[in-house]
Amino acid sequence: MYILAIETTGAAASVALINEEGLISSEATGERLNHLQNLMLMTEKLLDDSKLSIGDVSCIGVSEGPGSFTGIRIGVSTARALSQALNIPIISVPTLKTFVYNIDHYKGIICPIFDARRNQVYSGAYVWDRQGINITEKIKGDAYSILEIFEELEKSTTGQDTEIMFFGDGITVYEEQILNWAEKVSASGLKVTFAPENIRYQKASSTACMALELFKHDRATSYENIKPVYMRQAEAQRKLDEGILTAYK
Amino acid sequence: MDHLTMAIESSCDETSVAIVRNGREILSNIISSQIEVHKVFGGVVPEIASRHHLKNINGVADEALKVAGVTLDDIDLIGVTQGPGLVGALLIGLATAKAFAFAKNKPLVGVHHIQGHISANYIEHKELEPPFMALVVSGGHTSIIEVLGYNEFKVIGRTRDDAAGEAFDKVARVLGLGYPGGPLIDEIAKKGNKEAIHFKRVYLEKDGFDFSFSGTKTGVINYLNTEKQAGREINIPDVAASFQQAVMEVIVRKAVDAAEKLGQDKIVLAGGVAANSSLRTMLENACRHKGIMLFCPSTILCTDNAAMIACAAYYKYKEGYLDDMSLDAFPNLPLE
Ligand SMILES: [Zn+2]
Repeated sequence: MYILAIETTGAAASVALINEEGLISSEATGERLNHLQNLMLMTEKLLDDSKLSIGDVSCIGVSEGPGSFTGIRIGVSTARALSQALNIPIISVPTLKTFVYNIDHYKGIICPIFDARRNQVYSGAYVWDRQGINITEKIKGDAYSILEIFEELEKSTTGQDTEIMFFGDGITVYEEQILNWAEKVSASGLKVTFAPENIRYQKASSTACMALELFKHDRATSYENIKPVYMRQAEAQRKLDEGILTAYK
Repeated sequence: MDHLTMAIESSCDETSVAIVRNGREILSNIISSQIEVHKVFGGVVPEIASRHHLKNINGVADEALKVAGVTLDDIDLIGVTQGPGLVGALLIGLATAKAFAFAKNKPLVGVHHIQGHISANYIEHKELEPPFMALVVSGGHTSIIEVLGYNEFKVIGRTRDDAAGEAFDKVARVLGLGYPGGPLIDEIAKKGNKEAIHFKRVYLEKDGFDFSFSGTKTGVINYLNTEKQAGREINIPDVAASFQQAVMEVIVRKAVDAAEKLGQDKIVLAGGVAANSSLRTMLENACRHKGIMLFCPSTILCTDNAAMIACAAYYKYKEGYLDDMSLDAFPNLPLE
């Protein structure tokens, strides 16, 4: 049994293979944002290196978002088409939660932040419970302002000495604000760190780990049920709904 | 042995998958249109188009296979539009086509959207073969192309500003007709007098085959402003008919001149605006007068559809074209 995991929601794309023992091989590209061109090539190489063919894959795992809209679509459409053509099930993996697998046995709070522009981040906060899908969700994955995230983190940690580790490309944008906030909350026992570069971003090996857990919990489904998770409307739709844009007759 | 091509088209606002036998015979041609979705915005919104393509594509592919009565295993070739078009829309079709080809180990060929539009005529007219002169008129293109072989093109003339379809959309907007403009103007123009108002015909250089429609479009806007300021009532059917006449007259004249100058005795019409009734009538008359044979696709093959892409992919593949898994989207892909 092999799951092929696809991760294209961030600046760098990657693919990984995992079997039921949790053994992983993966392939990533250093090239940024050229996922359509690279994705199948990486998959081809990963399978070749593992001495496997695409027919040996029995399930597809795909990072569903949030992240780059374009990246999400490349991953989801590729995953769905592979699943449809190979007639194998597919698992939708919530991208923010996969960060729990970026760092083993971390005791603190894992807080990925993706730059969503318009002064927002896609974010959530999670605690690795036991190994498994028992991830405790401290903050629900959604679009927030960074201040809302700070507020939510404070709320969910009141009276605890705990560590928070930030992940994701939002760090580049919000580093200073996070450091200022960290100083403010250090008195109340919160320790803030940034994930080291090598585990800071989305990666398919984590998607694969989570996909395997979800697979064991019977969460594999048909490609028809897999939807991208944008966490935000299209800009034109939002403007229309908010009355900034008037409907064309 | 029959050869089956499956093709995917998703360059703008239609998601389409088709199965075509031996290059010219349609087994299925499923088109899921998003016109209703974009109407409220008065034009195609790329982000929304991409979302709908993703939502629809697997179901459309499934239906295309079902209607054709085949499975992916029976397919001999996968074709896909790789440009030009909206990049976010193109990549849904490309990612899907690549995954299909990879999963089933099938050859893959990327197709230029305009080559597809021209190829629609091979499906419609079984006897048609290159060389000929092609006139491609659509929302994004107005081009005169000398088709020297199935895969050999020489662009003789192109628009320097708006495509004809764009100009129609903009004029329809100022006339308050709605979206999309082409069919709406065509319809209301039937009730108007095409000689009522003289809008400028822009021929650019003598002997040149490039187009410019922005002047004619501006002419309409200026006319409407002048009439409004003078407090005169505007006869919308007359304006629509006169505008349409001004645009089509130039297109038809240039296409016929190009065919004559280059010694082509056939003109092939293609693209979304090829469904326009006044263009067809004028072109028919001009061709008959000059002894040129005219070929037009039926309405369904004028719109963006995957059958035309399958046909183009088939003739590319037959002449040795083949793509690999690095196939990418090219929003500004050139034809030549
Ligand atoms: Zn088109």
